[in-house]
Amino acid sequence: MDKVGIVGFYQVKLYSDANYGRYEMIFEAVRGAIDSAGLKKKDITTAISCTNDYYDGRTISNCYTVEVGGGYMADESKVEMDGAHAVLYGLMRILSGNHKLSLVWGGSMASCFPYHAARLYETDPTWERPVAYVNDITAAGFQMRAYLEKYGVSIEDIAKIAVKNRKNASRNPLALQEAQNANITVKDVLDSEIYADPVTELMVAQPCDGVAALLLAPEKQALKITDNPVWITGVGYNQETYYLGDRDLTKSMSMELAGKMAFDAAGIKDPKKEIDLAEFFEAYAHEEVIFSEALGLVDMGEGTNLNSEIDGDIPINPSGGAIGGNPPCGTGLIRIIEAAKQLKGEADGYQVKDAKKAIASGQIGMCAQNNIVYILEGGN
Amino acid sequence: MTEKLVVTNKGFVRADFSFWVGLYMDKFYDSFENKKIIGNKCSKCGKVFVPPRKKCGKCNETIPLDNNWVNLPNTGTLLNYTITHYKVSDRAARKAKKPQIIGMVQIDGSDTAIVYRLLNIDIENVKIGMKLKIEWEEKPKGNPADIKGFVQV
Ligand SMILES: [Zn+2]
Repeated sequence: MDKVGIVGFYQVKLYSDANYGRYEMIFEAVRGAIDSAGLKKKDITTAISCTNDYYDGRTISNCYTVEVGGGYMADESKVEMDGAHAVLYGLMRILSGNHKLSLVWGGSMASCFPYHAARLYETDPTWERPVAYVNDITAAGFQMRAYLEKYGVSIEDIAKIAVKNRKNASRNPLALQEAQNANITVKDVLDSEIYADPVTELMVAQPCDGVAALLLAPEKQALKITDNPVWITGVGYNQETYYLGDRDLTKSMSMELAGKMAFDAAGIKDPKKEIDLAEFFEAYAHEEVIFSEALGLVDMGEGTNLNSEIDGDIPINPSGGAIGGNPPCGTGLIRIIEAAKQLKGEADGYQVKDAKKAIASGQIGMCAQNNIVYILEGGN
Repeated sequence: MTEKLVVTNKGFVRADFSFWVGLYMDKFYDSFENKKIIGNKCSKCGKVFVPPRKKCGKCNETIPLDNNWVNLPNTGTLLNYTITHYKVSDRAARKAKKPQIIGMVQIDGSDTAIVYRLLNIDIENVKIGMKLKIEWEEKPKGNPADIKGFVQV
């Protein structure tokens, strides 16, 4: 695929209760991204957003974000999945050859609604929803137990992932304050409230308020805008079946296939050797392990043995990942921005040394039913 | 952000939604009225689905409405479980009185699992692989709540 440049980005600070309106937050992110590239609103040729009607409390929720979201009298559209899927839409607009600058933004305010109860609306309305035993958290409980049982991994090993990400988040000034903890221990994670056994509260990527935005441009245009763009050289996406009872929850088939597609596009033969870091949308600590295995960064069943610290073999979520703050519809987009920061050497305080190639991923659905993977490369 | 600046508005609109269950699920729920569970079978790979469905995704095979139904027993195996204090539908209101055990149960003769509560089983006695059977409502109405949950055989 032709490489596409990330030429600007901005993320607002994440809050559990931002206490200011979503429209101001969207404006801050969009304005910030345009400013970061030294451009003007009129330079945007297509504006893609990612929000969710239910999370926004209104239908066709982009009808009201036109002005603040860079869509006024413009080529504008919306994706109702993860922000990383909106980036795919923006990317395809660029690859169509019809656009010179694509603005993509995503996010919402989880402080306005009971996020996990709302996830019940994702379930089959004629079968699972009336009895209400499935939502994102019970699904995660099933998946974590399935993984532990299959590989004989301990709960402590999964808690360590949450510890790493919360410590990393403490070095990221934009992460959610409640998630930042430089002194957290495995015991703290295990002693936190049980959400759906074996998943405890501190293993969960807490839904919060936040918006992020980025700008994409075709190669030639990107080099006119900046001499230090980050290139998207591969993308892959995949969806598996809906019912949890149809799936093998010990692994992520959709992540594996999305990864293959992205690696093929970017010409990556051995991800273990070629990838310098990964930013995953891990809605739960165990997902990070399952994703690392699905992408071949580590052997199956060995995910918890990977040294994924900032100075480790393959750093994963140096920013703190989604556990560092999870604004619905923004989280996957933030992963792409964080990976881009690493490749530009701008991850002040949590910079991975010599980062040249990175993975960023987004997801949506119960137990990450749908996954999307980007390969990002630095330098021009 | 410091002091509370924003007055929130509940902003509810009453607009209830009704779902058609569809022809396959209609048959499925009809069988509930007789305290029976049925699945349907893909003619290509032989996989038996509960709940029944029109398409086998793997084979891209349409399962005909009038054929391929399989009568299944009330028994099954526990494949997986989770324990939660929360009511899934009402997490904001916090905890249910007692933690509930929610299981993924594979009905004998089927190849998929369904999610229901486990009843009258102590947490320390839950074991993956244990044999279970459906506890039906006394007077089933033809909906998913007719299955009260699963009890140990
Ligand atoms: Zn089949």
